[in-house]
Order: sequence, then structure tokens, then C-alpha cells
Amino acid sequence: MSSEVYDNDTVLVGAGAIIEQLLRGEFICRVTNEEGWRALKNNSTRERVETYLNQINRTIASAGEGEVFFCGYQQLGEAERKVVSSQFKEICSALIPLVEWLVLVQEASGQDAPLSEGAPIRLTELQARIEDTPAFSEQLTKLSHYRLFGSSSSNVDGQIKLVFKRLVELGYLTKPNAEKQIYIATGKLDYLYEVIRFIDETEGLSLEAQAETATQRELI
Amino acid sequence: MSSNLHQAGVKLLKQLGRHADVIMDAYLAGSVSESSHDPAVIEKLKKSGLLWRPEPDQALRLKRSVRALLEEGLSDERNRQIDSNVGSALATIKTLADHYKEARYNVDYSAAEAYLADLSEHVYSFTDSLRYSIRVLWGRINNEFGYVGTVNAKIRENELAQSQVTELLNGLEMFQFSELGEIAGDIRELRRLLMTSLQDTLSYCTQELSVVQGRLLELLGRFRQIQGRTRLLKGWLLHTDLHPDYQPENHVAHNKIPALFNYAEAILKPAHVDISNPHHEFELLQMVAQIKAISRDERIVVPRDTHVTFEMSEAEDFDIPDNPLKVAVDEYFCAIIDSGLRQSALEYLQQQQLDWDSESWLYQVIGGYEALPMEHKQYFELEPIGKPHPVYTGNFIVTDVELWLA
Repeated sequence: MSSEVYDNDTVLVGAGAIIEQLLRGEFICRVTNEEGWRALKNNSTRERVETYLNQINRTIASAGEGEVFFCGYQQLGEAERKVVSSQFKEICSALIPLVEWLVLVQEASGQDAPLSEGAPIRLTELQARIEDTPAFSEQLTKLSHYRLFGSSSSNVDGQIKLVFKRLVELGYLTKPNAEKQIYIATGKLDYLYEVIRFIDETEGLSLEAQAETATQRELI
Repeated sequence: MSSNLHQAGVKLLKQLGRHADVIMDAYLAGSVSESSHDPAVIEKLKKSGLLWRPEPDQALRLKRSVRALLEEGLSDERNRQIDSNVGSALATIKTLADHYKEARYNVDYSAAEAYLADLSEHVYSFTDSLRYSIRVLWGRINNEFGYVGTVNAKIRENELAQSQVTELLNGLEMFQFSELGEIAGDIRELRRLLMTSLQDTLSYCTQELSVVQGRLLELLGRFRQIQGRTRLLKGWLLHTDLHPDYQPENHVAHNKIPALFNYAEAILKPAHVDISNPHHEFELLQMVAQIKAISRDERIVVPRDTHVTFEMSEAEDFDIPDNPLKVAVDEYFCAIIDSGLRQSALEYLQQQQLDWDSESWLYQVIGGYEALPMEHKQYFELEPIGKPHPVYTGNFIVTDVELWLA
């Protein structure tokens, strides 16, 4: 890519929309806002956005090897620490339901790779598979009753619709076409993986090794 | 001898063609079930060495060479056989080059020629097999080892491909061009084969292989990442199952908060109307007043004009007025018939003092002639008068046409 192309993008997108999106607490990735994402990858736009955000004690933070952008605090005072701490608690409480959901989607669609940015999910197909397999529908019932999703429905249809609606609200999925039941995973999921990996590494949980030994035990 | 070989080869190929479905069955299934095919056919194929039995109680299989032919011909992606035995190819090439030199030294030209042909064959087939190997590798990379299902299998396939690349590269290192140069000496044919052609191919292949290696490593990294994530999720579930009251430590309590968790609160909320704010009342009312009410229920139905009577009546006669130019041309044709003389179209035009443009007149005359029915046309002869273009040959500029009775 030449710098010319980037310059064009900068002109087209403008920093305003990006700043707004960041201040709304949204994650910018290739899936959610490709133009904005491209613009943030370009140094001059990024600096402009950064300068603006710095005036209100914000900064551009990135995750997932620089593929996802979000808004963080520039200086962390007492008040900011409180906010960050409450955000962290929120993320932690969401981890278990989200991981259960990720595993369910991976297993139900018979895929080798867990969902990551850009992967499509066809809701009707997924729903049919979950409905056909009692174990999957049990898992869905369990995870949809977590506070994060807060479903009180007893049938698969109601549960799955609510779960997906919540996931779109939380920014883990987007629905590019309102008419079609196709969802696309966003870069925020990659952020989630990074959070889990961070916890795994700092707390020395060695999750991968645990999974590995469990699989080997299953094989035996 | 050579005609015998030719005949035997043709026979073998015909056999392949005749029993193509048996061979394809064997190719696709891996082995032939002897009960489902004619025993005589199986026996024949066995005799000509197309099928073989690896162990006494095993089913018949295709010979490797036939398999390789099909794999290459069909560009079958499952093909992962790579011939990395560069050493033996190199030895053969050196030996043949020595034979050739000896024959030349003994002034035995026919032998020398045969050895040279043999040598070229070996060099070319060696370079071809190298290029083929690279093609196979690229094929596997490009569909990301799509022929195996799981990520683990893909990782193993990737490792196999990497070991093949390493082996190929090691093999290529064995080529010492200084040594080949010594063998070739100052013999032009040998230098061309061993130095120019081989060197080109080898440098191309080495470059290509290093790119392949890079891509393989990149893919491996991706596969590992996928695998890692799957394990991470599984491990997380296992861990939380084993320790139901597990809570992640408070990683943001430290003095230095990890950048990952420095996630600011949203300060822009989705816009919405605040109807309880009395200051906005005036503006809101104005906006409401501007909303256009679209009510589809009260749409005025326009009655359709269904009372127009429709009558069947006879179609009126109409005629197309004759084109005066066409009439004039017809008169010209009649004048020719009357006079029975040759007359050019432009002459007639001047004679009758008609005020048609000469070019459109000529076109109409030619058109009129062409439009005549066959039986009338044969009474006339039309000849263009003109001259060839002064510069561009093949172009004939018509200045006039001449018409007469045939």
C-alpha cells in the first residue's frame, strides 16, 4: 500500500467519526468500521485523533496485535482507576458465559477454529444444529440464563435470539444485513482472547496445558 | 530395437486406455477389488506391471509410476510425494557427462550423440521434477492443506512440507557449479546444459523454495494460534469447572495498570430526545409540526375510464408515397431499356438535369440495381467506373457507374 492510498482514506473518513465511535466506547476493527480502522493504521490520522483525545485525557489503545482499537485513559487518577476497575470486573464476569458460548458455537458448527474476527455465523444453521442435539441445547439453556444474557425463555429459539441480540449490543458480533440472519464476529472477540491469555499468563493457570492433558486423557 | 520399443509402448498405453475405469477405480479407492472386475483384465494389468500386490494377502494396488502420472495429470491436491533425492540425480548427470566426454575423445560421434541426448533428458527431467515439487508445495499452501480436516492434521502436514523443503534445499546445496564447470570443460553443449540451464533453474528454485519456506512458517504460526485459542477456551472451561469459585485476580489494582485493561468509559451515549426537558418543548413541537402525515387509508381512488367503447372495424387503406429519387432511378432503368445503349449514371443525371446529389444518385442506382429481382437483374449489366487509390493498394474509388442491357 502506498502512502497515497492512506492519504485518500484520511480525507474520506475524517477523524470526527472515529473520535465519536471511540468515545462511545466502541471497538474499531476491520469488521466494524473498515475505513476507520484503515485510517487509524495511518500515522497522521492516528496522531490527529490522539491529539484530540489527549485534550480530554483519553488515548487510543490497541489490542490483538494492533488490529483492534479502543479508547483508554491517558492519565490514570483516582476516578479513572475506579472506572477501569469496574470495567475490569464487568469483563471478568462476562468471561465465563462468553467462553461457554464460544465453545458451544465452535462445537455445534463442527469447526476446528474458534470464532475470531471476520468469521461469519449463520444463525438459522446454528440453531438447527443446537435443536437437533440435546447436549447443545442444554448448554445453550445454561449459558443463556447467565446474568450477561439474562434469558428466561425455555425454548432454543427465544434463548439463541436473545443471546445474539445481546452479543451485538456488547459489540462482539455485527449483523451487516438487517434482513439476513448472518452475524460476523468482530475484533472485540480477539480482545477477549487476549484478556484470557493475559489472565492465564499472569496467574500461571497454564490453561493450554490443562486442555492438552484432558484431551490426551480422553484419547486414552 | 527402437521400433519394438515403440510398439510395446503403444501397446502399454492402449492397455491403460482400454482399462481406464479399472485403473481410476484403483486410483480413487487405493486398491482394486478383484471380485468386481474381470479376472482376465486384472491378470493382464498385473502382467504388464500396472498393478501389483505389495503383500501376498493384500489387495492389488496401482504401481507408483502410474499413480504419479495420474496425480500430476489431474493436479490432485492429495499428492504430497516430492522427489527430494537430488544426490542420485546429480551422480547420474556427472556419470553421463563423463561418458559423453569419453565418446567425444574417441571420436565416436554416434555414441556421443546418444549420451548427450540421454544427458539432456536427465537434466531436463531433473529440473522439471524440481519445478513440479515446488508447484505441489504451492498447491498445498494455497489451499491451506484443505485436504485434511483438523488443525492438528494441518500442523502435521505443514511440518511434513517443511521437512521436504529443507531436504530439497539441502539437496540443491550439493550442486557445486565449479565442479560442474570443470566437468563441462570447454565443450559448448555440456556448458549450455550443465551451466546455463541448470544454474538458471537452480537459482530460480532456491529463491522460490525460500519463499515457500516463509509461507509455511507463517501458516504454521496461524495454525498454532488457532490451536492455542481452542485450547485456551477448553482450558478455561476446565479450570472454572474444577474451581467453581474461581475469580480472576484484580489485575487493575496494581500501580501500573496493564494497557489491555485501560478501557475508558463511554462518554457519548446514543442520542435520543429528552421529552421531559421543558426548554426543548418549542423546538420539539416545531419538529413534530413538520412531520408529514402519510395516511394511506384516505387515498382518493380515481375511477378508471372504462366506458370507452371498443369497436372492430376494417383497417383503413394506406400507402407509402414513392421516394422521388427511387422513381427517378426507375426512369433511368427504363431509359436504358428504351435506348438499348450504354449510359453512365452521371451522364444521365446531367442529361436529364436532375438536381440530385451525384453521390446519393450513384448509391441509389447501385441500390436499385441490387434490389432488382433475379430474373430482371440478369437483363442488366452494371459496371463501376473509377480508379485505384493512388497510395493505398486494394482500395478502388468509384466515380461513376455504367449501365447497359445484357
